[in-house]
Amino acid sequence: MAATADGSKAGRIRYYPGCSLASSAREMGESFEEVAKGFSLAMEALEDWSCCGSSPAHSTHPRWALLLAARNLLLAEEQGGGDLMVMCPSCFVRLKEADRQIREDREKAREVERAFGRGYRGGVRLRFFLEVMGELGLDAVRSRVKRPLEGLRGALYYGCLLSRPQWITGFDVGPYETFLEELFRTLGAEPAHWGYARQCCGAHLAVSKPKTVDRLVDRIRDHARRAGANCLVVFCPLCQVNLELRGTDVEPLPVLYISEVMGLAFESAEVKGWLGRHLVDPLPLLSSLGLI
Amino acid sequence: MQNLDRSFLKEVSRRSGQGFEGCFHCLSCAGGCPVVDAMDYNPNQLIRMMQFGMREEVLGSRAIWICVGCFSCLSQCPNRVHIPAMMDTLREMALESASKVAEPDIWAFHREFLKQVRKRGRVFEVEFMLRYKLSTGALFQDMGAGLKMVTKGRFRLTPTRVKGLEEVRRAMEGQDGRNR
Repeated sequence: MAATADGSKAGRIRYYPGCSLASSAREMGESFEEVAKGFSLAMEALEDWSCCGSSPAHSTHPRWALLLAARNLLLAEEQGGGDLMVMCPSCFVRLKEADRQIREDREKAREVERAFGRGYRGGVRLRFFLEVMGELGLDAVRSRVKRPLEGLRGALYYGCLLSRPQWITGFDVGPYETFLEELFRTLGAEPAHWGYARQCCGAHLAVSKPKTVDRLVDRIRDHARRAGANCLVVFCPLCQVNLELRGTDVEPLPVLYISEVMGLAFESAEVKGWLGRHLVDPLPLLSSLGLI
Repeated sequence: MQNLDRSFLKEVSRRSGQGFEGCFHCLSCAGGCPVVDAMDYNPNQLIRMMQFGMREEVLGSRAIWICVGCFSCLSQCPNRVHIPAMMDTLREMALESASKVAEPDIWAFHREFLKQVRKRGRVFEVEFMLRYKLSTGALFQDMGAGLKMVTKGRFRLTPTRVKGLEEVRRAMEGQDGRNR
């Protein structure tokens, strides 16, 4: 399987979970792990991982962000190097940015050495989880579908970091967009055509400026509805929570992770556990469509 | 014009690794910004103010705190002026300066998050949210949402702690920003 790199055992994916996946986005990690298992891939969390240096660190202390990310890169290198898959777009951008800075800027590399007493040699290949998913192949996906998701019309929502150009974030969903739409169709569902897939969800302002974020979420939902979607499909833990928790609709759309949608089509036994934790209950929709 | 204080612009430029002479105020950044209507100045206006040496007005602005770093501005800027990096530097400088933080709740969010990282190496979401609420005095605002997260089992209720916590703390040495 191409998802593993030189040195690491075949069939294993070492990954960086990040704080959300360990808590509020547990179902994103669990469902991905379950889906990967179906493809004979075992997930293995980076040992002793720590905060990636995301928003609060880089927003107020850019130097801390570099060093917090660097610690995880050092760990990954010491634990064998090679591929490190990252699930959360925000963690991915932080790690990728630190990796780039240390490689390109000698002063930054020295700063890492000074802080940790050892240097990062660039032995980690950071991969966003969509890259790994892209390698599964549509035929392999098709052969695992047990329950085609007929009637599910999803607005695929990429949010901000995924959809910015690669020169900024290190990953651009652009080349994967067609794949994701086809993947969604392969599962028997139908992607909605809409123009709001790349609008920011409001990120951490959901906590400190809820009204501002209500407005952003209302707009996203409104556009998804107008495009005929009955659910939103997301790729980021923060987008998921914001789209469920914010907005002023009385009947908000369910918000599913792409990996949950796959698990649903594969009839994974764990599905109800993941979906039962959602703040917008997706079960009424899914049972009305006879999908659960 | 020759009396303008250039030191502020130079400092932001050096620390953020950005030149700002490329900005010709086309408003692509402001036009694409999802949260510009909550800002007191457009991103390009901040650049102009920096060029005029308006240190206190910029560091005391709300705009620098409202920016969430979604990179919309940067991906649309014809001259690739890295406004998100500029905002990161401006917030850092605002915390170092004597200016009042214009958005104390947003700063409280960042501050409490970072305290979690220093304490455990990771964020323990439940405690983070409670401490944020306590420090902003809005304990009961949004209570419904928080309770829903808890009853739905969305929060892990026991914290985990990084073994190499010493290293995490070393990464966060130096000025901690103020508590206000």
